[in-house]
Amino acid sequence: MPRMPGNEPPFSGLSSSVLTSHGQRAEDEALFTSIGDGAIATDAFGRITRVNPAAQQLLGYTEEELVGSWLPKKLVSVTAEDKPINLIDRPITRAFLTGKPISEKIYYRRKDGQKIALALNASPIILKGRPVGAIEVFRDITKEKEIDRMKSEFISLASHQLRTPLSAIKTYTHMLSDGYLGKLTAAQKKSLGTIISASDRMNELISTLLNITRMESGAIEVAPKRLRMDKIAEDVIKELALVAKNKSIDLSSAVKGKGDPCIKSDPLIVKEVMTNLVSNAIKYTPEGGQVRLRIRPRAANVVVDIIDSGWGIPKYSQDQVFSKFFRAQNIIKRETTGTGLGLYLVKGLIDALGGRIWFVSDEENGTIFSFSLPRDAVPPKPNEQAKYL
Amino acid sequence: MPALPNYSLYEGVVRITRVYLGPAAGRFIDRQVENHLHKAPAELTPADLMVLIDWLKISVSHLTEDSEIVEEYVSELHKLADEQAKPKRGKGKS
Repeated sequence: MPRMPGNEPPFSGLSSSVLTSHGQRAEDEALFTSIGDGAIATDAFGRITRVNPAAQQLLGYTEEELVGSWLPKKLVSVTAEDKPINLIDRPITRAFLTGKPISEKIYYRRKDGQKIALALNASPIILKGRPVGAIEVFRDITKEKEIDRMKSEFISLASHQLRTPLSAIKTYTHMLSDGYLGKLTAAQKKSLGTIISASDRMNELISTLLNITRMESGAIEVAPKRLRMDKIAEDVIKELALVAKNKSIDLSSAVKGKGDPCIKSDPLIVKEVMTNLVSNAIKYTPEGGQVRLRIRPRAANVVVDIIDSGWGIPKYSQDQVFSKFFRAQNIIKRETTGTGLGLYLVKGLIDALGGRIWFVSDEENGTIFSFSLPRDAVPPKPNEQAKYL
Repeated sequence: MPALPNYSLYEGVVRITRVYLGPAAGRFIDRQVENHLHKAPAELTPADLMVLIDWLKISVSHLTEDSEIVEEYVSELHKLADEQAKPKRGKGKS
């Protein structure tokens, strides 16, 4: 039967592949629009090509205001202190530099100037093996940030309040133990020794909690001074010598190579980092083992390795080592004390100094924790690299 | 016929990039080759160049808004790719 004009099925003149392509595109569009999180896609020049309604609502811009503009300029990314983030440090740029999706908590400035805290994931869009653009997916975490801040404030306040009675406990226990308040029997002295060591542990825990609160609220102040990494290592070794001796652990430090071990950084923070790592190494190394601290001066930085012959970290939990409250299963069985906060703190402190930390570990054979600190801990000025463009 | 330049492919890419990114060029190219092509910079071959140019274009595009500069940079890289694609004449042959 001849087909009369007007009674053809819709799209009858289109091939099936074109129909599939149109259908796919409509489905993609529906998906992109329906995502509850904000989503922004860019082309190969970093220009915004698509914005979903959630992104428009979060950022206060309309689709027309965003599409076609250069993302890094249109959406200003700032730090918690309201300083613009270097172009090269933005998650989307880092996703292109590293080839990996980057997940991070950042701040964007809305159209009305208000700062908005976001958990953002930036990823390159790859089509047939070639990069054709990028996508950022983000959600508002302002409320989570506020809860975090309140939690930190509470911990800080509680820690300060705990410290005061603890000082009194320590003072009077030492007075008792030293015989200022009368002669003690051996059993009484032993019991006081246990109280002293428990209150020391509690003091350490309070210090760690306070440091973490400071770190998380961005209140750590870096006061760079010229310092010798080998001298700090020697001090740390001296301070921990007795702890190592009690476990018959051979503790030593050495400088590798003839480079300059001096850097400009914050000596107190550097010492805190080194003490924490060496004390961890001693704690998680069996009696009679070895802990070595090695300083490796290099052109742009100084690397410190803390090498132990300890129990190591199981492969399956190595990616959680720097997470808060993480303790490896093989360690919990052997060593019941420990908060799982030490390495989390160390990582935060090294970040504050502009350094980097990493490790290699072989279960039952030991671990090498390494960190590098730049020759000069002063962070670069925002957008400094852009002068070459 | 002019003689072929005597720098390696990798050095050629870095030399072009240095004009646009300054002293950061070497490290920038190293990271791009290692992260996107999954090989050492010294192992870069003419066959890798087109994919590398795609990555360099998109990465640099996120550092500058000026698409003309990006296009100019990419065009310089394409010239290098064309140079590499030309059949090389062996020494002593006429």
